[in-house]
Amino acid sequence: MLVLIRKARIEDTHSDFNGQVIDILVEDGKIKTISKDITAKVDTVIEGDNIYVSPGWVDIFADYREPGLEHKETLESGMKAAAAGGFTDVFTVPNTQPAISTKSSVQYILQKAKGHAVSLHPIGAATQNVEGKVLAEMMDMQRHGAIAFSDGWKPIQNAGLMLKALEYVKSFNGILIQLPVDTALAADGLMHEGPVSTRLGMAGIPALAETIMVHRDIELLRYTGSRLHITGVSTAVALDMIRKAKKEGLDITCSVTPYHLTLNDEMLQSYSSLYKVSPPLRPEADRLAMIEGLKDGTIDCIASHHRPHEWDAKAKEFEYASDGLAIQEIVFSMLIGAGIAPELIVKTMSDNPRRIFGLGNVKIAEGAAASLTIFQPAVARTLSHTKSIADNILYRGKELKGNVLGIVSNSIFE
Amino acid sequence: MSLSVKHLLGIKELQTQDIEQIFQTADNFKQVLQRQIKKVPALRDTTVVNLFFENSTRTRISFELAEKRLSADTVNFSASGSSVSKGETLIDTVNNILAMKVDMIVMRHSASGAPWFLAQHVDASIINAGDGTNEHPTQALLDAYSIREKLGDLKGKRVTIIGDIMHSRVALSNIFCLNKLGAEVTVSGPPTLIPKYIQDLGVKVEYDVKKALQNCDVANVLRIQLERQHKPLFSTLREYSLYYGINKDMLDSLQKEILIMHPGPINRGVELNSDVADSANSIILDQVENGVAIRMAVIYLLSGKTALGE
Repeated sequence: MLVLIRKARIEDTHSDFNGQVIDILVEDGKIKTISKDITAKVDTVIEGDNIYVSPGWVDIFADYREPGLEHKETLESGMKAAAAGGFTDVFTVPNTQPAISTKSSVQYILQKAKGHAVSLHPIGAATQNVEGKVLAEMMDMQRHGAIAFSDGWKPIQNAGLMLKALEYVKSFNGILIQLPVDTALAADGLMHEGPVSTRLGMAGIPALAETIMVHRDIELLRYTGSRLHITGVSTAVALDMIRKAKKEGLDITCSVTPYHLTLNDEMLQSYSSLYKVSPPLRPEADRLAMIEGLKDGTIDCIASHHRPHEWDAKAKEFEYASDGLAIQEIVFSMLIGAGIAPELIVKTMSDNPRRIFGLGNVKIAEGAAASLTIFQPAVARTLSHTKSIADNILYRGKELKGNVLGIVSNSIFE
Repeated sequence: MSLSVKHLLGIKELQTQDIEQIFQTADNFKQVLQRQIKKVPALRDTTVVNLFFENSTRTRISFELAEKRLSADTVNFSASGSSVSKGETLIDTVNNILAMKVDMIVMRHSASGAPWFLAQHVDASIINAGDGTNEHPTQALLDAYSIREKLGDLKGKRVTIIGDIMHSRVALSNIFCLNKLGAEVTVSGPPTLIPKYIQDLGVKVEYDVKKALQNCDVANVLRIQLERQHKPLFSTLREYSLYYGINKDMLDSLQKEILIMHPGPINRGVELNSDVADSANSIILDQVENGVAIRMAVIYLLSGKTALGE
């Protein structure tokens, strides 16, 4: 298969062509030629206004619901959503039914992804069936393709168990991913505790539920000397703890969701369950701190926290509605909308996650394997239909700045 | 003559002039209620459903009486024994009822924001009869109306709300309503029952009940919800009644007379002693009486009818 990308600005700090507007010819999954004005008979031509091309983007936390909850999303529909969003590589969370906590379930995901443009990287459960009781077979899962370990939406509460998990992964250089929520402090909370929740009469989740968890995990990390990634950091205080831990030299990294970069808790004024997410939307000051953290390098990655639901799961009283947003297809637009520069987007969605999680270098060079995302930061598009089968889509029918033309990956243009 | 809103979801969405208008309309209905025939034909062609997804006695009766005295047809629905227990969603339940040509919905629900959610999915006007820990707007209106009846204009009046502020929709609606009418609000109770950010709503916090009483014209005493006792919010009812309960000795020690209110039902001997609940200071039964007039006013104004039909 021959694909020609015309007049694209290369956004790859590792590439000799970085910053150049140039043509790229891909043949059978490899970058064959990078040069001005390539003329060749090809199967597909990708062209348009102000095209950028970068190494393929990575989403480090997405929930495709399969196996078990295929009415919300399937691996198939999820991968289509990923491609539409510009992601060549996706880490899937283990909170499926059954949970991804054995070698065979890891292999199931990998098997399902074969032959697709998008590569899936299952996150294995850190504890058996994400129950937070007994360690899962993390070593075996890693040997068979698990990218990292986490109990996903059910963060490990028991400090002793978290300590053992951090210690256990050291022998195989594993990395633990933790969503920082202390569930005893979050308790029956429905949204961020603050002036807005008080006005709305909704039970609050104190910021403390996040900061205490991050503080605890940093202490455990210092003690064990292991590797930890905090996903979905959302409070300025927790972010500052991570900033200091990094300075100290601990092996800690973190990611933020697009919604914590773009939305705040004022969105809940209408009691719309669409904005019920985990961690909860925070006040504007925290949102601004997240943008600052992304710019100063404290935040390493973007994690979509893509969490699909059918209509019924959200069309309920706020308290009973499921949480999550299915936003993988609009991550790029949300980031552009938040004023994040394309260079920083590529750094946090490709460069950093590839380095942290060891996905290997995919720099744009002749002869290299083609794992590319093609996008247009300045072009607006209307979100008319989505590839995800979920209903909890943000900005449906709205015009959004920032367009993704597709990905070239695993010898496929999608 | 109509309100700035289509529904009465919460006091937080009302304009001060809406509240004034409800009070003026309630004045008229209160006169009607003194007559031998306590009824007007205004809502003859209107059907109202009272949807109670949570237990209630006085609020439901008060609404039903208000509807009947406006000559509306009424239907009552309570969650126990209904299709809700069979897993029917709120939207389905309500649309099924509306399909039978019901014009207005009065709803009580255990989830905060439920009436706002419903308002986005159905056409009928909705009156919130209490949602979770959020609002109970008609209670706040009748409370303010009762104070106004005894003390006149609320501007500058000092009202202390005592008890479980955290879980109380009465407290929240009262705060919004009293603020809009220019009263000064203080909340008092054990710190575990006072929301951390309550001062952002423009109220004062005083943990010492006696001090709080010393500096007020009206004390609105809330019910301690015995069913919340499984949460570690305070030690025992005994300790609560000793240090946060209101008794006659406490009132006698104050430098001035104050009004005592309670939204009911009272836990006698817990938050309020009988020697206070039944004293001359208490306007608890006035609140109940005014509740019907206030609810008549709200239903009437939201119905969009232009004349009382007399």
